[in-house]
Amino acid sequence: MEKLQYVLVVAESVSGISELTAGAASLGEKTELMYAGDRENALNAETAYYFGNTENNSFISFIPAIISFVKQNKPQLVLTEATKNGRLTAAVIAASMETSALTDSMEISINEGSVISKRMVYGGAAIKTEKSVAEVSVACVGGGMFEAGSPAKAGKIVDIEGHVAGMRFVEKRTKEIKSVNIAAAKRVVGVGRGFGGEENIVLARELAQAIGAEVGCSRPVAEEEKWLPKEVYCGISGVMIKPEIYIACGISGQVQHMSGVNQSKVIVAINKDKSAPIFEKCDYGIVGDLKTILPALTKKLIKN
Amino acid sequence: MKIVACYKCVPEEEQISIRSDHTLDFSKAESKIGQYDLNAVEAGMQLKESNGGEMLVLTAGDSVVENSKLRKGILAHGPERLYGIRDDELKMADSLTTAKELEAGIEKIGGVDLVLCGEGSGDIYAQQVGSVLGALLGWPTVNAVSKITQDGEKLIVERSLENCAEVLELSLPAVVSVTSDINISRIPTMKEILGAGKKPAEIWNVEDVYSKKSCGNETISVLAPEQTDRLRIVVEGDGEDSVNALYEHLRKII
Repeated sequence: MEKLQYVLVVAESVSGISELTAGAASLGEKTELMYAGDRENALNAETAYYFGNTENNSFISFIPAIISFVKQNKPQLVLTEATKNGRLTAAVIAASMETSALTDSMEISINEGSVISKRMVYGGAAIKTEKSVAEVSVACVGGGMFEAGSPAKAGKIVDIEGHVAGMRFVEKRTKEIKSVNIAAAKRVVGVGRGFGGEENIVLARELAQAIGAEVGCSRPVAEEEKWLPKEVYCGISGVMIKPEIYIACGISGQVQHMSGVNQSKVIVAINKDKSAPIFEKCDYGIVGDLKTILPALTKKLIKN
Repeated sequence: MKIVACYKCVPEEEQISIRSDHTLDFSKAESKIGQYDLNAVEAGMQLKESNGGEMLVLTAGDSVVENSKLRKGILAHGPERLYGIRDDELKMADSLTTAKELEAGIEKIGGVDLVLCGEGSGDIYAQQVGSVLGALLGWPTVNAVSKITQDGEKLIVERSLENCAEVLELSLPAVVSVTSDINISRIPTMKEILGAGKKPAEIWNVEDVYSKKSCGNETISVLAPEQTDRLRIVVEGDGEDSVNALYEHLRKII
């Protein structure tokens, strides 16, 4: 497989450092790492440049130093995580190097020295294949794209400082992460706007319990209605699920949601609108009021 | 503060059809304002309503920037005036190309204190243009902002990151990309809808604002993926018979 000469990884999280350095090794001969977090997290790089942790600092303050390094050393490819910081870093590095970052790559390869990337566009309706011919390409890569390799400690760790103008760190508050691993669930019941109100979601939970499923939702339910947490919304910009069965309730079936669930083996749709797009994209469907259908279906499933 | 929110008009994805060779056919797809851009407009309106100032909108695109229904649509959300840059080659352009045209627009508008962008465009969703624009302007640039407060000559922003919330103080002028859950975009009142057509809208041809050099990534293809053929066995009605029919299908799988 064709390889570049030199790939730079910029990452903060343990999984990001692990996966991106493994990915870099598959794409380039030499890997270097610029990172924040715990000093010992440096892996799989000839040299690792350590900015410090971000307990009392924003990762943004490291970006100007990263740009100076890239301008000076010219790696053929810079890999960043697809986190909020990773996206900002990719954008600013790309802008300074007169190129556009390749984002959310599903697949990256090298061809005649150029970097080729595939990503979903139009809500998942299509896949765009794009090529960067720039001197320095930048790619922002999602978790799980590269498999973490067998970790080897970095060759050398160099401490490096970062400063950014026009911005002052005020404070940081850690968030409580709700741990629900819906991405790995074998059965999922999806909650859409069709439920009408938060009080009706119990009907979905009862069905889920009856069949041993997790409860997920569409983006509007998480972001606008806020009936369920963001960690369980399924869609192109949320969780991509691959269950054996997905029961979509009160979900219209728009492209952005379906892109996150169409790897399900079987899709079942419950919706009162006969013309909802989801009926074209399901294996089994029923047109009717979910407030009537769900309890009746749950009852039958429990009985048998 | 003079605030400019950037927006993009995108095709309605449900109306994009797929040809037999898997290429996309946009001919029947209506255009709409990118939904995440409306969060940026709303954020600007809330800042203007709390602190005073001017709230404007800017877009770059092909002939869609002349679409009067969309122009009135966005003006009905509150901005005082609209600027557009027309570039017929902008469709499928990458983030650097788009951001350079918006940069030229911001400079032509002049005296801008704050640029607001949505999380990403409604169609490509690369989540880059806002940050690239900030880098090109050379202003403090942040993304993932879920809260903005003005504090005198500074802006206090809260970024919603994966594991934490980070609060930063920014000097102006600055570029801020907001999250999609920062606010819920207001529904325009009848008065605002009717008044939208009277607000000034200025469209510039790209050659008048920016001397274009070709740059950017090459698009090799945009193709619909192989679709899983679904069975599409649908029963109608929520009576006992229909539920039984559905149950019979599911019984074999569950």
